[in-house]
Amino acid sequence: MDLLLQFLSNTGYALADMRHVIMILVGLAFIYLSIAKKYEPLLLLPIGCGILVGNIPFFQGFGLGIYEDNSVLHYLYFGVTSGLYPSIVFLGLGAMTDFSSLLARPKLMLLGAAAQMGIFFTLLSALALGFLPKEASSIAIIGGADGPTSIFLTAKLAPHLIGPIAIAAYSYMALIPIIQPPIMKLLTSREERLIKMSEPRKPSQTELRLFPPLGILLCCFLAPASIPLLGPFFFGNLMKESGVVDRLANTARNAIIDTATIFLGFTVGASTQGDVFLTAKSVGIFILGAVAFSIATASGIIFAKIMNIFLKEKINPLLGASGVSAVPGSAREVHLMGLKEDPSNFLLMHAMACNSSGVIGSAIAAGVLWSFMMQ
Amino acid sequence: MYGLEAINAANGWAMAIVGSLIVFSGLVVLSFVISKLHTIAGFLEKKKPPSKIQDDQEKDLKDIDLSGEWPSDIREQAKLYQPIIDNLGPSFELQELYLIAEEYGVPHPHLTITEFRYAGFLVSLDEGFFSWNFN
Repeated sequence: MDLLLQFLSNTGYALADMRHVIMILVGLAFIYLSIAKKYEPLLLLPIGCGILVGNIPFFQGFGLGIYEDNSVLHYLYFGVTSGLYPSIVFLGLGAMTDFSSLLARPKLMLLGAAAQMGIFFTLLSALALGFLPKEASSIAIIGGADGPTSIFLTAKLAPHLIGPIAIAAYSYMALIPIIQPPIMKLLTSREERLIKMSEPRKPSQTELRLFPPLGILLCCFLAPASIPLLGPFFFGNLMKESGVVDRLANTARNAIIDTATIFLGFTVGASTQGDVFLTAKSVGIFILGAVAFSIATASGIIFAKIMNIFLKEKINPLLGASGVSAVPGSAREVHLMGLKEDPSNFLLMHAMACNSSGVIGSAIAAGVLWSFMMQ
Repeated sequence: MYGLEAINAANGWAMAIVGSLIVFSGLVVLSFVISKLHTIAGFLEKKKPPSKIQDDQEKDLKDIDLSGEWPSDIREQAKLYQPIIDNLGPSFELQELYLIAEEYGVPHPHLTITEFRYAGFLVSLDEGFFSWNFN
């Protein structure tokens, strides 16, 4: 009988408190959103399941938890804390990205740059709220709307905040269909939303092959701290466009990125143990994340409107919203809003151009913030 | 420390202004280089002697132009695709079909190809190959 009682007192049911219950409910909500609502299922499902696993209470010292040195989860989590998974995800992302529309219309790259303003505005807000500079930089990068970039920078600057920042970044990416449309509607008139973009020219294969090496040289020389992200990104794209290593490009954009995404999502989820996650700081991070994301969307749209003052061939300001690097969620949202106003207005290709420049922009911003903090 | 005092203490204004300028100028330079890329590419491509096969393809492309008004009926659209399909042979990859349709000037070929798949005009033969099933 004593043995049974001792066993029962060691079970997760006996050890659980309110924090575990709250986090388990969050995990279940993520799983529900991914399956029932199909909101970013590739991310929310592994994260949701990771939250469940990470919030099962246990006796410390058995080598079970993600923060215990000798646990299996800890070894898997090394890919997050070292910045390995984000680099691998960028490799696959590069092998997936088609830069044709960006090469056809280079001016759309400016919208990707404008949308990064959310990052720097949030940096100021986080500092004002009392976060330390390294923490503020990690929170600010949520405005780039790029999960792997947020995790990478946080792992380097404020590893103790990886859980809340990753969850905030991915939650807002999943909530794009809810966050972005009201901002887009508020900042644009119907006439502006109806602007049609002309069919872009088709860049030659030589242009597509020249772009990745040029991208590495220009961006990585400017912000060397962005090498771990942009190096693999452009390398993946060169594999795709070169046409001579299709096998490698296929592996990078399928098996490799999928493997990294599984482990990244699952371990980030598991790192959100109630005792380290449910703090006042996490609440601040969520609020600032929403502000960052909204300002990034708004800055892109406003900058597109400013560009239209000077351009002969107007651009649809909705495209500014896809300057955040949430690929392809924000581009899809812009496309859908364009279609809603005019079913023959196809904005997807143009929005993808802004989206891919947003990826480059947020990686440079991460590199810049990291180098500021090293000084 | 909170508010403006905290921002000043962390040199926040300078970080935000310089940071945003670096990101912006980096992407402006990149977009400028991209805008000149077609000139460099054109120079490099001129050096390549055109192959005979390429010439023949170009002749074929001149014969057909599908960039005009596009019918809304899917069966009419399929009829317009017929010469492209004839060129591709009994089995082909969708990427191949897409690229040729684009060269012929078909507007938004990805949309029509998706509709053909739903309508059963494009039948999967496994391993990424498809056949045409429209009479």
